[in-house]
Amino acid sequence: MNGISFTLNGREVTYTGSAADRLLDVLRRDYGCTSVKCGCKEGECGACAVLVDGVLLNSCCVAMGAVDGAAIVTMEGYCKTERFAVLDRAFADLSAVQCGFCIPGMVLAAEALLAKNPHPTEAEIREGLSGNLCRCTGYNAIVNAVENAAKEGNGLW
Amino acid sequence: MVNGFAPATLQEALAIRAAQDVTPYAGGTDLMVENRRGVSYLFLSKIPELRQITVDDTCVRIGAAVTFTEALADERVPQIMRDALAGIAAPAIRNAGTFGGNLGNGSAKADSVLVEFALDAKLRLVSLSGERIVPVEQFYLGRKKLDLHSDELIAEILLPKTGWENYYYEKVGGRNALAISRVAFAGVLRMENDRIVDLSAAFGAVADTVLRLKDAEGMLIGKTVAEAKAAKEAFLSRYEQDLTLTRGRVSAEYRKAVCLRLLQAFLEKFGI
Ligand SMILES: Cc1cc2nc3c(=O)[nH]c(=O)nc-3n(C[C@H](O)[C@H](O)[C@H](O)COP(=O)(O)OP(=O)(O)OC[C@H]3O[C@@H](n4cnc5c(N)ncnc54)[C@H](O)[C@@H]3O)c2cc1C
Ligand code: FES
Ligand code: FES
Repeated sequence: MNGISFTLNGREVTYTGSAADRLLDVLRRDYGCTSVKCGCKEGECGACAVLVDGVLLNSCCVAMGAVDGAAIVTMEGYCKTERFAVLDRAFADLSAVQCGFCIPGMVLAAEALLAKNPHPTEAEIREGLSGNLCRCTGYNAIVNAVENAAKEGNGLW
Repeated sequence: MVNGFAPATLQEALAIRAAQDVTPYAGGTDLMVENRRGVSYLFLSKIPELRQITVDDTCVRIGAAVTFTEALADERVPQIMRDALAGIAAPAIRNAGTFGGNLGNGSAKADSVLVEFALDAKLRLVSLSGERIVPVEQFYLGRKKLDLHSDELIAEILLPKTGWENYYYEKVGGRNALAISRVAFAGVLRMENDRIVDLSAAFGAVADTVLRLKDAEGMLIGKTVAEAKAAKEAFLSRYEQDLTLTRGRVSAEYRKAVCLRLLQAFLEKFGI
């Protein structure tokens, strides 16, 4: 029986469990990617968001069989990039992080947005982050942080 | 792979569908929330035939596994459909959710299906033994009730290339993002030589399936705008009488009131 092969943060891996298993559970349990948070398992909160071939997906709504051959990036990999450094600074400068639970998903949603649209308007940022819930910071600081990151990171996206 | 198949061609997928007890899986946004136990999935996302949008003489053909994000970015897709897609959930759900899955889930709240009803869309269903082209209203029969055989897959959604330009679309939800429709409306009016030659008014999320009252629609067909204005009151009361709505998260009375307001706004948009 062939396994499910994909790259996880650049590393090639093969999963031999069930194709019906949830990507969220597998990332946390089998690959130790605990930056991927579980807030609802219903696609509603965005805390489990990851990039699959550059596309933002809620990993709670993805079965393992769907990622065969894909390139998956979680915060464990993304945090080593230059783009992350810019977002990291912007979030810190504006105190856009409190408990941090929503932040990995939030930052990957920001990455997905900026990759498509390097100079988003405020409305476009709100739309880009609309699937990510934050229960403590409030959204204004987060939106401002992404706005600043877009300015600071000019040319990176 | 264990508990799943990821065929590379439609032919291969149909052979597996015919021979095994599998659940088609497109974007997973309904299936993974349902979290069915012990299922074997037939993954559709690697099948090129299901992932393309093409245009022929009369139709825009959308592959069943095309995602909402892909269709939103494609100018060949009628604007009324793209308006509806823009109101679905949030980016990560639109990146995964597909047209086939929206139909396959069999919910009257499915936003792309509402527009398919308003446009008299047809579906191309395929199996090893051939294909059927079925109007959406004959396919989508009620909550989780679809005219889909156990060896079939939805292959394409066929939308008319023109004729939808005069439209009115509105979704009423509890909030902006991630809101499931409480009431949704899609109306299309077609005029020729100053007369209404076609009118459709479809209501989503208010009953077991998307609702259209064809008899009532007929009341305005053949009329000029002035004549339609004169018949408007009778038209609206016909809907008030005949729209039979179910209670959902909100009361049937609320939904009925909203339906009638939306219908009115649709007529007003075109001077009726
Ligand atoms: C947080 C959240 C918000 C949502 N908001 C909305 C919304 O605003 N509006 C809306 O309309 N929907 C919404 N949905 C529902 C869902 O995203 C859509 O119904 C979507 O279109 C499902 O597509 P999918 O590809 O993910 O389906 P899947 O989960 O892969 O499949 C759904 C069903 O369709 C069947 N199926 C899929 N493809 C085929 C095929 N080609 N042939 C035969 N059967 C098939 C499957 O077997 C399954 O029964 C939401 C879902 C979530 C989780
Ligand atoms: S855990 Fe996946 S969206 Fe909430
Ligand atoms: S910082 Fe706590 S949920 Fe967003």
